[in-house]
Amino acid sequence: MNNLQEVWSKRFNHYMNEVQKYMRFVFTGHLALVFVFVLGALGYQYSEWLEAVDDTFPAEWVVASVVGFIMALSRPVTLLREPDQVYLLPLESKMPFYFKKALTYTLWSQIGLVVILYLVAVPLLRTVTELSSSQIWLILIVIIILKYLNVHIEFNYRYANRGGNLLIDRIARMFLSILAIESALTLSYSFVIILLVLLIAYNSALAKKVKEQPIPYEHFVKAEQNRMMGFYRFANYFTDVPHLHGSIRRRNWLNFVYNLVPYSQKSAQSYLVYRTFIRTDDHFYLWVRLTAISAIVALFVNIPMITWIVAAALAFATTIQLKYALLSSGDFRMDRLYPIEPNQRNQAVRKVLRLFMVIQAVIVMLCSIGQPLFFIPALIIIAVSEATYVMTKDPSVETE
Amino acid sequence: MTVLQLTNVTGGYTRKPVIKELSFTIGEGELVGLIGLNGAGKSTTIKHIIGTLLPQNGEIRLNGVTLNENLNQYRSSFSFIPETPVLYDELTLKEHLELTAMAYGIDRQTLKSRSEVLLKEFRMEKRLNWFPSHFSKGMRQKVMIMCAFLVDPQLYIIDEPFVGLDPLGIQSLLDQMDEKKKAGASILMSTHILSTAEKHCDRIILLHEGRVRAQGTMNDLRRAFKMPDATLDDLYIAMTKEQDNE
Repeated sequence: MNNLQEVWSKRFNHYMNEVQKYMRFVFTGHLALVFVFVLGALGYQYSEWLEAVDDTFPAEWVVASVVGFIMALSRPVTLLREPDQVYLLPLESKMPFYFKKALTYTLWSQIGLVVILYLVAVPLLRTVTELSSSQIWLILIVIIILKYLNVHIEFNYRYANRGGNLLIDRIARMFLSILAIESALTLSYSFVIILLVLLIAYNSALAKKVKEQPIPYEHFVKAEQNRMMGFYRFANYFTDVPHLHGSIRRRNWLNFVYNLVPYSQKSAQSYLVYRTFIRTDDHFYLWVRLTAISAIVALFVNIPMITWIVAAALAFATTIQLKYALLSSGDFRMDRLYPIEPNQRNQAVRKVLRLFMVIQAVIVMLCSIGQPLFFIPALIIIAVSEATYVMTKDPSVETE
Repeated sequence: MTVLQLTNVTGGYTRKPVIKELSFTIGEGELVGLIGLNGAGKSTTIKHIIGTLLPQNGEIRLNGVTLNENLNQYRSSFSFIPETPVLYDELTLKEHLELTAMAYGIDRQTLKSRSEVLLKEFRMEKRLNWFPSHFSKGMRQKVMIMCAFLVDPQLYIIDEPFVGLDPLGIQSLLDQMDEKKKAGASILMSTHILSTAEKHCDRIILLHEGRVRAQGTMNDLRRAFKMPDATLDDLYIAMTKEQDNE
């Protein structure tokens, strides 16, 4: 037992250090600032909306659906690694102890989001429904129990089926969880109890199957790797995660953009950078995401000052992150040897960013049409982007 | 005519030099093998020649100029095939060739005619629109080789070219090297496959602990080691023993 206790705590500490290392960048990054503004604006709009909301609004169903949906996504955090299938094999019979620790952590790390979503909905429930305070708290307990069951069922299901057909299990749990929360919100307690019993029975049936099977290391290791990759990808938007190679997609529908680059020695870096930007998911989706946030804020937030600040902050974030991503030079690349001017890459990156920031500006402008001074965010985006590019340092220069 | 000239080159990654007072030359149409134990300084030497490391002392002249005197002329005079293929994940095979051609100022017509020959030689015609993630190690190596030969420079620098290539690939590479040599190009090749080196190299440079231990034709080396009938393998092992005795 001691042995596995040690294995778990060592991994857990290492994992926590890794998470903290990168979360620091996330919270101190410029995007965090944008999120504060966006959350503030959304909160304000939410409170405005609460005052006008109609009594017939189906709050129970909306809250149950959102919370139930998120709740069913209960990917276990096992911290298993590839060598485990060899080195932990002799300890197979003691592994339930390890998994118990893993599931406890999984529950605590995931319960926060569910609880927060519910708490955010409390003002809505108070406005639209006639639930008393104690009833609202009681329902929170039901939600926590449901989440506990979801975590255990998903783990046991993955174990028993070695990772296969997970979607079926998730949809089933989603459905049952949504029904259970809805019943709780409408105070049909007998239904809640029936659904809980159903879930518990489902869990024990799976747990019985689990006991008959060897540990599906292959599936758990893969799931764990995907989970960590997801985290690193996320962290990569805020800071440079070493040796993270994002996936590549051809995106043929954007091929016409490459026609902007003429065939000449002077355009060699442009030839490369256009393709790098468009085909690397990390770069391209970063732009898509930030542009979408900026556009949605422009579309739905009617306070000009807020949309301007958000547009500026997001233009800054898009420019600086893409500039760093495209210019920073970690590994050796063949273009370091090309007989071309050393600053050609910088100029190429600038051209690509200018084009895509103008597109961002146009999209945001189209989304703010109808507002007075609808063209201001577009001008802000272009000005901020240009200024950001000029005033930040070139990351490829300092490493040389 | 001397194509590449190293004069007393000392250098490394840190203050502590890995290669010490290295001097050798490579002439027109010459294939020179750079041989040495692991850690002898082969890769460091190559890094200095391609200019990713700068010498702490001494100078390297390629076609008469140093990197500092004329960066673009220096860089257009050689092409490099690294030991581990370095490809752009986001470019197809065709785009690797096109990018290389653009970067070296090769016009479209020349690109087309040269790449047709190379693609056929290395049997890669059908993979033009593939991304490198779908390539095997050998295919990746072939992409690097094709890009290097596409440039058609004065000097080829080839680091461990035969690892990962299938026998047909090795033969194609040797054929290409031979053809370029006949046209007057020079080749510097580092390798551990000694039998191939012995068979194909005009001259051999034996590196040992960052210094040139011996250089010349096979006969020169045999004289230097006083082993008249030795193969390159024998000489290599003799050098290893020398190291053990120290």
